Amino acid sequence: MQNLIAFLKRFRVFLFFAALQVICLLTYVQYLSFPKSQFFTSASSIGGEFYSFKYAVNQHFELENSNLKLQKENIYLRKRLTKNLYQIDRNLFKIKDTSFEQQYNYIPASVINSTTGKMNNYFTINIGKMQGIKRGMGVFSSDGVVGIIHNTSKHYSVVKSVLTQDINIDVLIQPIGLYGFLKWDGRDPTRGTISGISNDLRIKKWSKVYTRGGSGIFPKGILVGRVERLAPVEGKPLWDVVIKFSQDFRSIDRVYVIKNLLIEEQKSLELDVPEDEDKPLI
Amino acid sequence: MKIIAQQIFRFVLFVLLQVFIFNQIEIGIGITLLLCPLYLMLLPFDTNVFILMILAFLMGISVDVMSDTYGLHASSLLLFAYLRPIIFNVFSPREGYDVLKSPTIFDMGNTWFLYTFGTLLLIYLTWFFMIEIFSFNKIGYLLQKVFLSLIFTYLISLLLQVFLLRKTTKL
Repeated sequence: MQNLIAFLKRFRVFLFFAALQVICLLTYVQYLSFPKSQFFTSASSIGGEFYSFKYAVNQHFELENSNLKLQKENIYLRKRLTKNLYQIDRNLFKIKDTSFEQQYNYIPASVINSTTGKMNNYFTINIGKMQGIKRGMGVFSSDGVVGIIHNTSKHYSVVKSVLTQDINIDVLIQPIGLYGFLKWDGRDPTRGTISGISNDLRIKKWSKVYTRGGSGIFPKGILVGRVERLAPVEGKPLWDVVIKFSQDFRSIDRVYVIKNLLIEEQKSLELDVPEDEDKPLI
Repeated sequence: MKIIAQQIFRFVLFVLLQVFIFNQIEIGIGITLLLCPLYLMLLPFDTNVFILMILAFLMGISVDVMSDTYGLHASSLLLFAYLRPIIFNVFSPREGYDVLKSPTIFDMGNTWFLYTFGTLLLIYLTWFFMIEIFSFNKIGYLLQKVFLSLIFTYLISLLLQVFLLRKTTKL
């Protein structure tokens, strides 16, 4: 017993250090995979308030730019209004209203804090549980995909952006219809990769990359970027397809959160499928 | 009392500077400006190591809350605080430290500051980026980040001292 006390006394500085260090590292590792503690994030009210203020100041200088952008987008959307609707009767009958059912709803939001220089970049947006935001919803802007909701509080949400290492959004390379998973290597905020594409496939430079819409998080056909080059993987007959994001994450402002009204249905249906162990996406 | 008020002011100032200015500057190619260690460095020589660690922990958490890093800053600042007395002992002058002086570049001189703060900052940045990158197959990128950030953070911390300490000598 006395030895123990002597030991504790001798190493008290180190033990104190070790205890605090364990707390820090546990929070860090835990949050990356499992956002339980709301205390350490900018979704908590203190951090959120600060960033709202900062955003209010920055926003003022961006007004003209974002107005133009919104106007362009409105014109574009007017042309293709039925695109977001889910068709029930496949060309058999066309009865007004009942042949379409709303599948995706969009909730507008503003990014009030974002980073691009870290290995895992999270964005804070100014809507939260009050607006019905839940974990796992998709986020995109008028230029392209942004990320997936990672954590929410009453008024704010944290978005796990495309610029994180394990984002794995399922994407489709058009026009050849090839699909794969989008990854990011942590260095260049303007480029991502799609790994493991067999090298006998011919992919044209600048062919467009869209979301595949398989997991119900994003609707099919949201732009992600364009193919910039094909990087050969050493020792394997594979290509890493390097794509340039269509959204510049360094100047991101207005985004939309996607609410899939049929996600419960899709999920409960997919539960019955016998599964392999490696299930994609969050 | 005056010293405590001054230190609280400095604490808040450093957190705000880090969150709202240095975190927003994203130069690219791996340069990250991390100025929080300078606060811990400038605390008086006779500061108790426990107080040092508690301050580091609090400062780290405040920065983490506001920049979504979940314990990354807290962990590395804690390491800095733990190592500070040890590194100070290694580079101590022959007659020991004068309690009336403070560990700044003006009181202790250029060489001493370069050795102590340089070493501590090197360890701090290595730890910080090791946890951030979290994988061993990117050693080249890790070294690039540490090296570039070390140079820029050191230069900015020299500048900050000029601004901060001019003020305090007048008081």
